[in-house]
Amino acid sequence: MANTRDLRRRIKSVKNTAQITRAMQLVAASKMKKAQDFALEGRPYTELLAEMMSSLGDRLIDYKHPFLEGREVKKRGILVVSSDKGLCGALNANLFRKLVTIEGPAGYVSIGRKAAQFLSRSQRELLADFTISDKVQFAEVRVAVEFLIQSYREGKIDTLEVLYTHFINTMVQTPVILPLLPFAELKSILQKKDQEAGRKSASDDAREIQFEPGPEAILDELLNLYIKQQIYHVVLEAKASEHSSRMVAMKTATDNAKTLVDDLTLDYNKVRQAAITQEILEISAASFAN
Amino acid sequence: MPLILEIVTPEEKVYSETVDSVVLPGVEGEAGILPGHVPLLTMLKPGELTVSKDGQEVVLAVDKGFAQVLGDKVSVLAEGAIDIAEIDLTAVDEARERAEKALAEARALGMDPAEVEKLETIVRFSLVQKLAKNRRL
Repeated sequence: MANTRDLRRRIKSVKNTAQITRAMQLVAASKMKKAQDFALEGRPYTELLAEMMSSLGDRLIDYKHPFLEGREVKKRGILVVSSDKGLCGALNANLFRKLVTIEGPAGYVSIGRKAAQFLSRSQRELLADFTISDKVQFAEVRVAVEFLIQSYREGKIDTLEVLYTHFINTMVQTPVILPLLPFAELKSILQKKDQEAGRKSASDDAREIQFEPGPEAILDELLNLYIKQQIYHVVLEAKASEHSSRMVAMKTATDNAKTLVDDLTLDYNKVRQAAITQEILEISAASFAN
Repeated sequence: MPLILEIVTPEEKVYSETVDSVVLPGVEGEAGILPGHVPLLTMLKPGELTVSKDGQEVVLAVDKGFAQVLGDKVSVLAEGAIDIAEIDLTAVDEARERAEKALAEARALGMDPAEVEKLETIVRFSLVQKLAKNRRL
């Protein structure tokens, strides 16, 4: 049995760890609230934009735009959005597990240090690496977006997909691959979503659509807005997921530390009591012997 | 067949109800939408959006954006939208002054264009709100 001094030392160290995890939990909790609000508020806007985009894309078959036409995919372009820091549970591990399933040659762009580290460690092609602060600014995301669009236009990548952690609720976040370019793939995703929700898609209206001003002008505006907004929103979702995941992980750690301290304290008391009993026995034995 | 009107901004879903008709501030003039309208996708200019429902009219100030009419659904995607009854002119003026000041600074320092754009949006939307409100008073 361990002696009392060792036990005391362990209790102290576990308590220290619990203090740190508890502090991290509180910080994450306050950040989580804000990040979740941002992510959820932006959702209807982004979804409506996607819906408009798809109904527009349907009816513009004869209009040639590099973003609308699928081309032969020689290399997929994938934007990976991860966290900068660790200690956030299985968040990044799950994300990378999804990443490993990506097939075919692909070029990667990363947002977040963990993604960049993973990509270079697993020797995948890393085209660029961006960092985004905790308080997401549109300007920060824009740099990444412009780089991606540029690469797509130049033909360095033939698709644009985003791998990120979709925020469902505080306990559940799932890694998702969201295809952005070309738009053909987007349509199938929207349809699937509609079916899942049991909604009748508004684009069932088969009549000719009217455009004001011309379709080209609208398309250009919408396309730009769409891609920027989507990526911005994805980053918001990823941040919300990160903070939620960290909050939960730190809460579990704090709770575990508490049970550990309780167990150790019980052990410590037992050892101490045993030592006292032992001593009394020895003293009484000695007095009998005299 | 009633119309379903949905107005969404980056911050929130401002409006989602069934209505009788809508007048949109399109870039090529105002467009009145009644049930059974031809499918339409239009860009919106900053201005007033009028909703009539059960014989009553509600006017909203909207910033630039897009509107889609498909089937019986009208979806409006705008940078900003607010019911003119809720516009507080003094607060709007203050916000505009702050944004203009920040904008002047930003231009002098050569700040990031996206941030400048954001400030310009605030200034523009404040003006729209003011105009809309004053006209109805």
